[in-house]
Amino acid sequence: MQPQPAPTAVVADDERLMRDQIISRLKDAWPELVIVGEAGNGREAVAMVQGLEPDIVFLDISMPEMNGIDAARALAGRVHVVFVTAHDEYAISAFEHGAVDYLLKPSEPERVALTCQRLRERLSQKPDPMSGLLAQLSQRLGAGGVKPREYLRWVQASVGAAIRMIPTGEILFFRAEDKYTRVQTQRFEALIRKPIKELIDELDPDEFWQIHRSTVVRVDAIEQVSRNLRGNQVVHVKGSDEKLEVSRSFNHLFKQM
Amino acid sequence: MNTDQRNPGTDNIAGRGQASGDSRPMGIGQAFREIRNGIVVMWWGFFDWVAVVSWKALLLVSFLGLILVGGIFKLPTFTSLVIVSAFIIKVVAGGKRRAERAADEATKRAETEQLERTVLEARMEALQAQIEPHFLFNTLGSIDQLIQTDPPRASRMQQSLIRYLRSAMPQMRDGSRPTLGQQVNLCSAFLEIMGMRMEGRLQPVLIVPEGLKSAIFPSMMLQTLVENAIKHGLEPKPEGGKLEIAAEIADGRLAVHVSDTGVGFMPKGEAGVGLANIRERLKVLYNGRAELIITVLPAGGTCATITVPYQVAPATPPA
Repeated sequence: MQPQPAPTAVVADDERLMRDQIISRLKDAWPELVIVGEAGNGREAVAMVQGLEPDIVFLDISMPEMNGIDAARALAGRVHVVFVTAHDEYAISAFEHGAVDYLLKPSEPERVALTCQRLRERLSQKPDPMSGLLAQLSQRLGAGGVKPREYLRWVQASVGAAIRMIPTGEILFFRAEDKYTRVQTQRFEALIRKPIKELIDELDPDEFWQIHRSTVVRVDAIEQVSRNLRGNQVVHVKGSDEKLEVSRSFNHLFKQM
Repeated sequence: MNTDQRNPGTDNIAGRGQASGDSRPMGIGQAFREIRNGIVVMWWGFFDWVAVVSWKALLLVSFLGLILVGGIFKLPTFTSLVIVSAFIIKVVAGGKRRAERAADEATKRAETEQLERTVLEARMEALQAQIEPHFLFNTLGSIDQLIQTDPPRASRMQQSLIRYLRSAMPQMRDGSRPTLGQQVNLCSAFLEIMGMRMEGRLQPVLIVPEGLKSAIFPSMMLQTLVENAIKHGLEPKPEGGKLEIAAEIADGRLAVHVSDTGVGFMPKGEAGVGLANIRERLKVLYNGRAELIITVLPAGGTCATITVPYQVAPATPPA
């Protein structure tokens, strides 16, 4: 009978101290396990596993460049994965019923020993493809997968020489002006290059309404709607004297209840 | 009247024999006092009413009083006396009394508003002061590891953690108005910990003049900006970068900047809860005289600036 080659592992965490801790715990619990590499982010971990082909990878969930879950997806079926996390309630509940093991930071020696025990038994089998678990995890942690549509929460605009991030909740309205779009808040006005036509697609339709070809107003900022002499609807906005005309095609927005 | 009948009994039980004889004159005195109190209350009620009521209503009531009381009860002299005194009161005290009452009401309203503000601010502050479990567990893990490999550093990190927890837990604060110095101190404890954990990936720089540390600055806001800069700016960047806390006086206002050389601000996504909380708290605390501005730095990275009116905390007397 041939002697079994020593099992190998890669440890990935963006903090060196946490890598050191896992490695020293593993040394105690499983002296034969050889740590062949350490990675500081998800991308490095993927490259390292592909290059060194270890039996096991320990993946921290929150890492720069690529998180642990995306890294696991890239490596699914190639290697046995153990997730490591400090505190991800959602993740933990997903692991409880899954075939994939996890460790909590800071890790207790007994818990690491149990994980090593399970890994020894599993090494003879093919690594789990983790498809169900990964889909569940990405959904819960909002990483990868199908995301709900994201709207602008901040508008990047120039105020004088500076570029400011203006929270959409502070904006009263947008108005098209020559080449620019004016962003009006209670305190100041700013200019952006994006035309209203493109802007409206990125704004949350529950937060902003287009009331004219050249005007978009934040719904919560509307104080009242009246009619001007020509019989057109006019929107008054809290915190600004400017009156915004509603064009006929948007009249339905302010129909009588 | 009740008391008169019950007195002998209670006296016997109490064993005070001499009281039973005195009880009657005491009761009469009490009754007089009550009647007098009643008259005083009625008089002030009348006084208040006269002072506040409109001239038209006063004239109408006087006229009716003259007919009813003066005509039917045949007391014209008494009635006209009352009416004349009412008019004098109205002329002399009307304006002042009305102003007093308006002032009373305004004070009461202002007190309620102030109380509401204080409660709201306390609630939002508590929300902001929540310590992230991630931070706590990762720090404890790092200390645990350092105990094995580098005990002096483990001890330093633990001391920083204690210093951080002492000022970050709301129930540990002493209730006086927070100063910029305290807030910078809290952040520097946090940055020491993160610096040890992230090693070369975090280079903290503090540029806060000693003289500004006594300025009043709301609690936990600087901390939120620093945490944001690390979490959304530097941690996602593999090589990390610089984090700078700077304070200055500009146009009589205190401006505190937290800037980082991280990955920059994401215009989409829900990174803004802490920032929205700061904005709300500034509104409640300073009523429009304070603001939070986020700017994009030309070289990449983000700068967050909180500007508040410059006020110096009163010197604390030695305990």
